[in-house]
Amino acid sequence: MKILVPTKRVPDTDQKITATADGSGVASDHLPFVVNPFDAIALEEGVRIVEKLGDDSEVIAVGIGEADYVQQLRTALAMGATRAICVECNQSLDPWNVARLLKEIVLREKPDLVLMGKQAVDDDANQTGQFLAALLDWPQATFASRVELLAGEIRVDRETDHGIETLRLPLPAVVTTDLRLNEPRYASMAGIMKAKKKPLDVIPVAELGVALEPRVEVLRYHSSETVRRGERLRSVDELVERLRQDVGAQA
Amino acid sequence: MTTQSADVIIIGAGVAGLSTAMQLALRGASVIVLERERIGNGSTGRAAGLLGQLRGNVEHTRMLIDGIDIVRQLEKTTGTEIFVQTGSLRVAETPERAAEIASLVAMGKSIGFDIEHLRASEVAKKLPYMRTDDLLDACYCPTDGHLQPAELVSGYLKVGKDCGVQYKTNSPVIEILHAGGRVQGVRTAEGEYHAPKVVNAGGPWSYLNAELANATLPTAAIGHYYLTTRPDPNHPVDRMSPAIRDRELRLYTRPESGGLIVGIYDAEPDQYNMRKLPVDFDMSRMKAARDSIQVARLLEAANARFPWIDERTPMTITTGIMTFTPDARPFCGEMPDLEGMYHCAGFSGHGIVQSPTIGLIMSQLILDGQSSYDCESIEADRYFEVPGYMTRTDIEQRCFDMAGNYYTKIEKATPVASGHA
Repeated sequence: MKILVPTKRVPDTDQKITATADGSGVASDHLPFVVNPFDAIALEEGVRIVEKLGDDSEVIAVGIGEADYVQQLRTALAMGATRAICVECNQSLDPWNVARLLKEIVLREKPDLVLMGKQAVDDDANQTGQFLAALLDWPQATFASRVELLAGEIRVDRETDHGIETLRLPLPAVVTTDLRLNEPRYASMAGIMKAKKKPLDVIPVAELGVALEPRVEVLRYHSSETVRRGERLRSVDELVERLRQDVGAQA
Repeated sequence: MTTQSADVIIIGAGVAGLSTAMQLALRGASVIVLERERIGNGSTGRAAGLLGQLRGNVEHTRMLIDGIDIVRQLEKTTGTEIFVQTGSLRVAETPERAAEIASLVAMGKSIGFDIEHLRASEVAKKLPYMRTDDLLDACYCPTDGHLQPAELVSGYLKVGKDCGVQYKTNSPVIEILHAGGRVQGVRTAEGEYHAPKVVNAGGPWSYLNAELANATLPTAAIGHYYLTTRPDPNHPVDRMSPAIRDRELRLYTRPESGGLIVGIYDAEPDQYNMRKLPVDFDMSRMKAARDSIQVARLLEAANARFPWIDERTPMTITTGIMTFTPDARPFCGEMPDLEGMYHCAGFSGHGIVQSPTIGLIMSQLILDGQSSYDCESIEADRYFEVPGYMTRTDIEQRCFDMAGNYYTKIEKATPVASGHA
């Protein structure tokens, strides 16, 4: 079993995020970077599947970005990825082009399963997994909240507005992960020590032979105004009355 | 620009500043508390709050025991539970640690403190979720427990507000005003606050506040981590399960919302230069990296005592900053070179539980010039102009060593000793 986990490196969204003065991007001077939380969930799921199989199965973490992306890939290796691939690319990419690059990695590595976050928490695009499945002409299951590996196929629960939908997909397939699939681990001491010796290949983006064709143009970033409309009420009764009125007004 | 006056200005709205403000106001003093950010954030907002009353030093033990009375009074006033009296347990897995426990039990009994040896089989009965087969000895203190930091903050705040304390948030102090060897107040971006007495209760920022008054306060900012497991039906943790201290493994634990808090005094903790942190640094946003070596060591130690905890266990990791001093005791009181400038910082991981009595002591020092407690071991000037404690490099090294060795050194408690625990 070979599982490919594409990841994105994003600013830690639990920090205070502001746009740069010229609106060209996010002010990232003091911002720590992390593996996109949904991708960390995908990685954790891949590691759990491989731990359960207990054979020579592999989880390969992939990152596309600037040279210091290797830091986040080392974290992925410490969490249990078998090896990592860093596609060095200094250009900012939209989901379509990320999917095209990932397709080349998939063709090289020939994984049985691609597990990735349903979206990245920086741009919330929620497109890359779907693009990749379409480009590969593979079956896809998005927003997985439970994943079960069966002989030659995978069973996926997805949370929808109408309840839990269960899909069965033949492998190879693309599965994107939702929040409740698992809780990613903190690396163990053994994991951190082993990570130092695991292979981490760096590939210049040009080597993949994909002519990048940007389809999305970012016009401007600006910080949204936070409006606090808190109000102090005197009693619980008053609160209940207010809630009744507000609900009534909306109904 | 505003100009306001008060009897006392307090810098910092963590438990140290809030408790001091409350005690001063209860005595009728007018108090303004200036907080750089939010009330009860900072180290206070991340503390586990373990209360072990028995210390190597009898006076410190007395302070902790008396603190519980203050807390019980606060509970009556606010109607909320602050002190959770779970009892506490200390375990020994080596002969040295067993001797340590024996001396602690002897000291406790000599002052009439409720403490008993507990056999490993009895420990297993009390704590089914803990590994006990390697224990040589243990002792149990039924009157220990923990203080709930958020509820304690609310208590200080409620009484303080009722007594007229003014709290100003998002108000970092940028200058300490003084002339002729006397403090006169402080300046913030909004204006000046005048008072003959100023208290530096800045926690990890305390050494920077001291520098504003041209003083050297030997405190340093040290990183700390603990984990909180989610409730697990296979390993239920009763909310009244005793706190556990395992100094050999550097661990402490207590129950929390059906799960278990496990914290570590790491041998090589992170060190922080508070000056280099962003101006709007908010401790509640600190986050451990998924491959943090400190977290990995915490997981390893936790697994040794609680084999069901490993890297796959659902948990949250809390990280924050503690303020250590070279001897792990706080600095409380004036420095010789600036009259009216008081310091109240450096609680080395014990700020929550020491705060009730420390607030009382600070109010006594400020209003009476002396305290009903023997404050020799916590005097602010005990390293004043002492060689080796004057540069930031020396101070940070000594505080780092103290923090790193905090749980590992063997403690020799005697009823008359003045060491610390």
